This record gives sequence, C-alpha cells and structure tokens, in this order.
Amino acid sequence: MLFLQLLLQGIQTGALYALTAAGFALIFGATRIFHFAHGTSFTLAGYVFLFCWNGGLPGWFGTLAGIAVAMLFGLAMERLVYRPIQRHEGSFFTVFVAAFGVAVVVQNLVGMVAGRGFASVDTRLSLATEVLPDVFLAPIFWIAIAVAVVLFAALSAFLTRTHAGVALRALAQNPDLLRAYGLSSNRLSMLAFAVGSAMAAPAAILTAMTTGLNEAIGHHVMLISMAATIVGGVGSLRGAALAGLMLGVAESVALQFVDTQWAEAVSFLVLFAFIIFRPSGFFGVAQTR
Amino acid sequence: MSGPQIARRALMGTALAAPFIRPVAAQGSDPYVIGTLFPMSGPNGEYGTLFTNGAALAIEHAAQDRMLRRPMRIQAEDTQALPQQGVIGMTKLVNVDKAHYVLVGFTAVSKAVAPVGDRAKTIMVNGGAVGPDLAGLSPYFWNVIPLAHLETQAFLPFLMRRNLKRIALVYVDDPLGDAILGLLRTELPKTGGELAGTFSVPRTAQQFGPVAARVRQVRADAVYVASFGAQQAQIIKGLRDNGIRQPIVGYSALSIASVTALPEAEGVIFTSQKFDYTGGSEITRRFATDFKAKYGSEPGAYNANYYNAVRLFALLAKELEAQNTEVNGDSLRATLLRVREFDLVGGKGRFDDQGNMSAEIQVNEIRGGRVVPIT
Repeated sequence: MLFLQLLLQGIQTGALYALTAAGFALIFGATRIFHFAHGTSFTLAGYVFLFCWNGGLPGWFGTLAGIAVAMLFGLAMERLVYRPIQRHEGSFFTVFVAAFGVAVVVQNLVGMVAGRGFASVDTRLSLATEVLPDVFLAPIFWIAIAVAVVLFAALSAFLTRTHAGVALRALAQNPDLLRAYGLSSNRLSMLAFAVGSAMAAPAAILTAMTTGLNEAIGHHVMLISMAATIVGGVGSLRGAALAGLMLGVAESVALQFVDTQWAEAVSFLVLFAFIIFRPSGFFGVAQTR
Repeated sequence: MSGPQIARRALMGTALAAPFIRPVAAQGSDPYVIGTLFPMSGPNGEYGTLFTNGAALAIEHAAQDRMLRRPMRIQAEDTQALPQQGVIGMTKLVNVDKAHYVLVGFTAVSKAVAPVGDRAKTIMVNGGAVGPDLAGLSPYFWNVIPLAHLETQAFLPFLMRRNLKRIALVYVDDPLGDAILGLLRTELPKTGGELAGTFSVPRTAQQFGPVAARVRQVRADAVYVASFGAQQAQIIKGLRDNGIRQPIVGYSALSIASVTALPEAEGVIFTSQKFDYTGGSEITRRFATDFKAKYGSEPGAYNANYYNAVRLFALLAKELEAQNTEVNGDSLRATLLRVREFDLVGGKGRFDDQGNMSAEIQVNEIRGGRVVPIT
C-alpha cells in the first residue's frame, strides 16, 4: 500500500510540476529566451491568490487575479527586460543575469510585503482522508489532475487549431521564415510569455493550498522546470509536461526504496541520466555536429 | 623637481586626505559596531527580522539609559542561514567593519563563523541556534540560549508522563538536525522511550506528503520535528494534511509566527526558555511593554535572547569604560568571566566558564494561534 500511496502523491506533485514546466518550455521553445524569472510568475500568482483568499474574496476571483498578475509579470519581463537586451547584444548570459536579478528583487519585495516566512491557504481541500487501508487522498488530488488535464487539452487545441497557436509553433521552428510571411515575431513572443506565465498560476494556487509558499519558492520551481525541459526535450511542450509528471512521481516513489533525504536527489539523478544517455530528452530532436 | 611643485602636490594630497583624517576625540565617539549574521532573506528570513528587532530595542534602551559613552550601531550581513554566506559576512565584519561584537544564529552558520571570530578575537553571541556542540566552540563564542540538550533533558520526561514513548523524528539534514538525532538516540532509551523511526529531509525539501506516508508506517506515539524556518511549517502542514494524527512535538524554533499561526499547528507541543513578561523583573517588564509598543506584537524568546545579547555587551562595555579599558574580545571575555551574573530579560543570567548562559525551560502548546506555557 505504501507504493500506491507514494504513486498517488507523486502524480499530484507531478501534475503541478508539469503545468509549471510546460509554461517554461512554451516560452523557451518559442522565443529561445531562458526565462529564469518564470519561478517569480509562480510566486506572484500564489501570493496574489493568498491575499485574495485571506481577504475573503471568492476563490474564482483570486484565481483570475493570480493568472492576470502572472501574465502581466511575464509580459513586463518580455517588454522591459528581454527585448531591450536583445536589441543590443542579447547573449544568453546577459539574459540569464537580468532575469536572475529581477527574480531576486521580486523575491525581496514579496518578503517585505507578505512577510518573510511560510504562508499557506487554509482550506479543507488539502486534508486527506483514508480511502483505502493506509492510503490517504485529499480532494485536491482530483482537482490537480483535472486542472492539469483540462489545461493541457486547451493548450494543445490552442497550439494546433488556432492561427496564433500555429504561428507560435512556427516561431519556435523558423522565426525568419515567419517574418517573411509578414507575421510579427514581437507580438508572438508576447503571446508566448502571456500564455506560458499563465500556466504557472494554477500550479502556484494549488501549491499554496498543499505545500504552502515562501518568497524563495520560485528558485525551486525553476529548478524543476529546467530539469523537466531538458528531460522532456528542449522545445517540446508535451515532453516538458511528461517529464514534470515523471519527476514528481520519481521523487515520491523513490521513498519506497531509499531514505527520505534522497527524494529530491532522485529528480536530478533522472536529469543526469537523460543528459548522459539521451541528451535530446523524450521528444527533442537529436542533432549531430 | 622644483620646490613650488612639491608644495602644490603636498597641499593637494593633504586636501584629498582631509576627509579621512579624524581627530582622536572623534574616534573616541565612534559607535560600537554590533555585527549581525542573520538570515534576512530566503526561507529563513523570518528569523532575521525577529532577531534584529530584539537587538535594535536593546540599543534603544541602552541609549535612553545612557549606559555607554559611545553609541552602538548595528552592521547587518545577510547569511540566508547558509554557512558560506556566514563566513563571508563574518570576514567582512571583523576586517572591514571592525565589529566589536557579533550576533549570530543558526547552528551551521555559527559553527562556520566561529573560527573566523576566534582568530580575530571577536566575541560572537548566539541567541537562536541550539546545536549542543555550540558549547565550547571558542572562548569568544557565547550562548544566551539554552542549547538543545537542555531542552531535551526537560522535554523527554514530559513526553513519558504523557505516555508518548515511541517517537518518530523528522529532521533537517544539517548540523542542527544531526545533533537532535544524536540526542534522541542516546537520551530517549534512558527515559524509557524509543526512536520509532528517523526521517532526514534536505534543507531545500518542499514536499512532505511522501514523508508523511513513511512516518505513518512506523506507528509512533508522537512525531518530533527538528527543522527551522519555513520548512518546519511545511513539515507540520504536510504531516497533518496526510493523515498524521499523533501529537507533533519539537523544540524552541517552533515559536515563530508562521508556525503558531498555522491552523495545522494547533496542539503542537515544544520547549523554550522560560520568560515571565508580566510578573518578572523590571527589565523584563520594560522589554515586554516597549517591544509591544514598538512592533505591535508580543515578544518571543528569540526577541528576548538577542535583546539580552546586546544588553550583555552594554553591561560589559560599561564596566570597561568605567575602568578606562579598551573594549575588545579579550577584555569583554575577562569581564564576563569575572562578573558571571547579569540582570537580563527573564531574570539573572548566569554564565559558565565557556560563556553559556543557563536558563529555565518550559513546555508550551500552540492553542488558537498562541503559545501557551503548560509547565
């Protein structure tokens, strides 16, 4: 029964990792910008929801507010940070340092406004009950699964059945050709940031209910997102989502076999294994030089 | 080279150096530098604010009472509760800021910075970390908080009386967690208890649902949480949300607001120093009243400890000023060992040869978001 329990908990965690990683992968895949501040979108969305919840506002309002703030932050990063850098030299390192700097500044601002410490949404949705002998499940398990499934279905439909979605995929593959067809890569880049950042918000809200938040949580989120993007195959959305799910399950199920302190290390063992044996990830395209 | 040229250069050099040349009298009124090595950001940033609030109030009180001829000022360095950041901060405090006295917290940070302070003969005072090996770390390292072994000695008989004999330990993988593990391993059997299971978690761990599943397996009477900062609140929530109904117990680090305000922490039992803010000494009452007026909340043990740490410096420096002796690590230490007993918040603070202050321990329970003493 311990294995089943760990598997179910891993699926819940993995669903949240998948949502966050997919947002990062969408941005990175379409724009090739290493958006390190994606974790900050997550943090902001979580805290905005928390403020709304604690302020007695309805959950749907908090959710929309969280999504809006995450999107606005992503758009602001694209317009005010990444685009000016890319206008000049746009090296990977400059972009990374700029994003890291913004993440640190926002982390401190969140700490100053919301307090430095643990904060969580007080809800009975996270309270598990025994559904089978020694197997505990909380209502939020089903919510996490449902949210992940619905959002991935919606994202897939958007990317395959709408002009904007198809253009986003084209931006990822050949931006020059896209411009030759008269499409604006700047607008599409903004769209990628808006949609990718919005994907982090539901995961942040569910995390606020389950494991809780602190102002530094964005760094952990980024580690997972980066690992999932590499394991899934750089540029592959479904790869990142699948890898996020797999990392969550691996982190949890590992406790059946190893001591509790190794749970997080298992995620990174998986990452190393992929880097060594399958550097292109699940769905990445292998390249030869 | 002609004479006028030299004169012009000398004049220019003197003019440029003038702002940096201070009269002896001015140096004598320079503030005493109280360095702080606290986590001011990151998941343990909450502690930095708690620690600093206590120290800042003590500086205000010392100034109001005109205890010293020179003012005191805080020079803060953010450690993020990480040893390497602590060493960088300590090196700057002793070499650049010429700190007279450094306040530290967190076991791993304290152990990392102690050699730096020892070499520089700078007094370091801990009011937040409880790792038992912090006793005797250096002649210049003092503790104004009872260390974990003292908390455990008081706590284990209490647990046995409540028939909480099989203890599962969830501990952070760092020197503090290891120290508590060692203590429970040796002390529990002596009091008739046993360690039902031990579960180490990395400092960066965020997910505790799977850990709770493992903890459930050992069917313990109580779960002892030995971590700090945001993580201990996450552990408690993770355990409660995932079917752990046994009492959760721990040590003084649980007295922070993010834990006490957590609905899942209702009923958590932990030890801390004994403070009587209403019926205690005048110093204690003044501290409690002014703290509430300044910060709008009741003071906690950490606030009091760092208040005491700074007040101790003021008392020692006052003695030295009266004797016209320079205030430095050696003179402060010699005065501490000579006087031994000081009027501090909570009553008389008595120091042993290693600079450890003894204090009474009480057992508390979190009830309705408040810490209520139950012994």
